[in-house]
Amino acid sequence: MAEAEPRNVVEKFFTSVANVLVTPTVWVREKIVEPNQQSYPWYHQKFRRVPTIDECYTDDVVCQFEAEAQYKRDRLVDSNILSILRARFEDCTLYEAPDHLEKCKPLWEQYEDASTNWFIKYGDLGGYHNVKSAYMKQKHRMIWERRHGPVGSGKKDTE
Amino acid sequence: MILSKLRPLLTKNTSALGLWRPMSEHRVFPMEPSRWQWNKFKDLFHFYALVGIIPLSLLTLYANVFIGPATLQEIPEGYTPKYWEYYKSPITRFIARYMLADPQQDYEKYLAYIFMENEKKQLRQLEKKIKDKMAERLDYQAYYYRPVMAKYHRISREAFDYLESIRGD
Repeated sequence: MAEAEPRNVVEKFFTSVANVLVTPTVWVREKIVEPNQQSYPWYHQKFRRVPTIDECYTDDVVCQFEAEAQYKRDRLVDSNILSILRARFEDCTLYEAPDHLEKCKPLWEQYEDASTNWFIKYGDLGGYHNVKSAYMKQKHRMIWERRHGPVGSGKKDTE
Repeated sequence: MILSKLRPLLTKNTSALGLWRPMSEHRVFPMEPSRWQWNKFKDLFHFYALVGIIPLSLLTLYANVFIGPATLQEIPEGYTPKYWEYYKSPITRFIARYMLADPQQDYEKYLAYIFMENEKKQLRQLEKKIKDKMAERLDYQAYYYRPVMAKYHRISREAFDYLESIRGD
């Protein structure tokens, strides 16, 4: 990213004061460090999809262990997605400061939907839960929804 | 040079007999404040600088200037990266490659281990159920049957015959 040219005398003064530290650093990097560095790649690991916990037999511990590892990875991914959406909304609020309420509304809606879904799937399970308790949470929610209608519409009397 | 300093020490404090025995004169220990903290500081400074700061900073300089961090790229088609190629810093890559084990290998070893333990668990569970049922119904004599191995009977019978042949009646 190219540094913007100083627009006036004040900016020129402050850039030249900063350059006392910046210029030697840039010179060392461009003349000494970069010619000597080797260029080689690193990659992000891609994991194969394995059967989820609902496709495992009850006595198949290997399948259950792999499903648990996949669940933990997916939970990390979802948590990071939520962090990114939250950061987007917060940056928008900081940038648009006086009229952030209207300008950032779509981002807020998006974040709220995502966090609701996150809590439906992973919330209220405690610090050291495993994939089975998350699966049971889904099962209980589906049973409750079958008996009482969608979550949030109140409990019906038992007939 | 040091030898020329020693002779006056010998001849200076001679008593009437011309001898010097530093045995009973009034000799005192020089009174001065303790230099213990200063000496300890020098020790610690030398230790942390020569063993810690200098080698580690040289290592870091070498790793960052002459090798440099890796660049993030897409995995090429048909190529599975080695397990140390998932890290950026050359020092982390070195440690992962030469000191630590392949995580996939550890994972698969653990899967094999829990599979075997699960098989054993199922066998033991089945045995326990059978024994409980036999204890509940009391209709199977096998609970009290202790298995005998004929091999040891044959060995002890051979030993008995041999001893009898030696001792007679």
